Amino acid sequence: MRTGTLDRLHSRITSIDAMPTIPVILRPLLRCLDQPVEQIDVDRIVELVSYDKTIAAQCIRMANSALFGRSRPVESVRTAVMNLGMWRVRDLLFSNSLSQVIPANRWVVDPAVFWRHSLGVALVCRKFAEVLEYPDTEKAYLAGLLHDIGILVNSMVAPDEFRSTYEKATREQIPIDEAEQATLGFTHSDSGRVLAEAWKITPDLVQAIELHHDIGDPERGGPLVAIVHLSDLLCRLRDMGYGYYEPRQIDFANEPGWLYLVMHFPNLAGLDFARFTFMLDEYAGEVGELVSTVFAQA
Amino acid sequence: MPNESTVVANERPTVAGMSDPVWVRIRDLIYQVSGIFQAENKFYLLLNRCQVRMKAVGARTPREYLDFLTTRPNRDAEMRNLLNEITIGETCLFRSLPQIDALRKVVIPALAEAKKKLSYTKLRFWSAGCSTGEESYTLAMILLEETQTTLKGWTFEVMATDLNDHSVAKAQEGIYNDYAVRNVPPEFMRKYFTQSGSNFRVADSVRPFVTFARLNMLDDSKMLFMRGIDAIFCCNVLIYFDGKSKTRTVQHFYNALLANGYFFLGQSESLYGISEKFRLVHFPGSTAYWKPGDFGSKAGSA
Repeated sequence: MRTGTLDRLHSRITSIDAMPTIPVILRPLLRCLDQPVEQIDVDRIVELVSYDKTIAAQCIRMANSALFGRSRPVESVRTAVMNLGMWRVRDLLFSNSLSQVIPANRWVVDPAVFWRHSLGVALVCRKFAEVLEYPDTEKAYLAGLLHDIGILVNSMVAPDEFRSTYEKATREQIPIDEAEQATLGFTHSDSGRVLAEAWKITPDLVQAIELHHDIGDPERGGPLVAIVHLSDLLCRLRDMGYGYYEPRQIDFANEPGWLYLVMHFPNLAGLDFARFTFMLDEYAGEVGELVSTVFAQA
Repeated sequence: MPNESTVVANERPTVAGMSDPVWVRIRDLIYQVSGIFQAENKFYLLLNRCQVRMKAVGARTPREYLDFLTTRPNRDAEMRNLLNEITIGETCLFRSLPQIDALRKVVIPALAEAKKKLSYTKLRFWSAGCSTGEESYTLAMILLEETQTTLKGWTFEVMATDLNDHSVAKAQEGIYNDYAVRNVPPEFMRKYFTQSGSNFRVADSVRPFVTFARLNMLDDSKMLFMRGIDAIFCCNVLIYFDGKSKTRTVQHFYNALLANGYFFLGQSESLYGISEKFRLVHFPGSTAYWKPGDFGSKAGSA
């Protein structure tokens, strides 16, 4: 992106009225979860969940949903948290707190579609990282979850232009970033980067947000960018995309990100990728359940 | 034949019933033997189909049924019975909509573009293991439809083969009940079918484009004659072959395809460990195997 456009975008995003603020709950949550799952402090999570009545209610509702098929109803936050497990509680907390970034009436992309995609990419990133034996699976998850925050920024700072951009992408069945480049002159990767920097998110995550569509030289972004890029593509092909059909053929084994990962993580070469792909349908089900819980009318 | 949605609505078991780890072992065994993968969110279907077989053989628990599939003397026959049960109801016209979308929106335009450069204006599809013709006619209808747009001025043919004489004869009749046409979009129903009592007959405008023949895919001498194909469709057929026969048949398919040609399997069927030559390609909601061009180019790749 040209420097002039970036400066204009930066000043537009950081202007007080339009700037999405980091949700209150997010920082302690990030701190709390920035460690191996077995070391996560359950009491602290229960405390964070109880802090927000909406989230607490959602946890209980989800723990009682058909997905968990319990015989006795769950009534306390603690039981709900224990039954759902840390992963799902965290998913719920993240998606809920990030949802509060923009007011309900400012969404351009249907929030359910947006979260289905973001949570889907997060899950696939984590799974991908596990398969590769990439050491920081949680970072991969977080990168996946946050990769599209630029879409929230665009909905806030340029609602009308972004609405017509999204309509153009849907109508012409082209990737959103391509439509953004054509109509806005910048993409959600650019605006996401500006917000991530303003939120003081770690530089490797900022890079994953900035380069997730156009990874350029894979050496620059490293494994995290490649993982997010490929997971994003995969989700868009497995019913966890932006809510419209993108006619395309992807030969993953020929993608620069894949070639880079194969070089650094030899076990990728032996992966049964067809099976990995079919397995994503399980995630689609899980994510669907989560999203319908978050966005169901209380 | 029961309506699948009715079965699901009435008999969908609870998740608790599916938590037995034996189901994962049965799922993995099916994948290992046949290449068909059942995602965990579809386990209720797997459970449903296994229960039919469990009742038939008298197995009381999933664990006991796993023995029927692994250690009992007639395990191969039982696996075959289970695979039959799993694929039941899958033979209908317009069976896989994501595959059809991929065909119309990506594959046919990519093939047309590649062939036009060589001044060819004919496409040849092969429906291998065509059973009673549902897939073969579906392909012909789609290609016919595309001759209005992407394939204007083109010709095409669909070769349809099956081992079973009765299936071939039934396919040639081209008459289907309402269950077999349940997925057919209304505009295709209007254009390409005529009502015949309570059944539906494939229109005469479609029939000349489809040629049915008996063919044993394990007969090397016959398979050698299949050449110059743009796309092969072989759904839920290789699942019954042993490893060696699978590899040999897939090699024949590879040889039969032109460079840049496509090989489609069933919706959740994989070629993993069978062929290294094909490249797995992804479309929205479906996958296929692609034969690289002379220079390994990425036809239609994004």
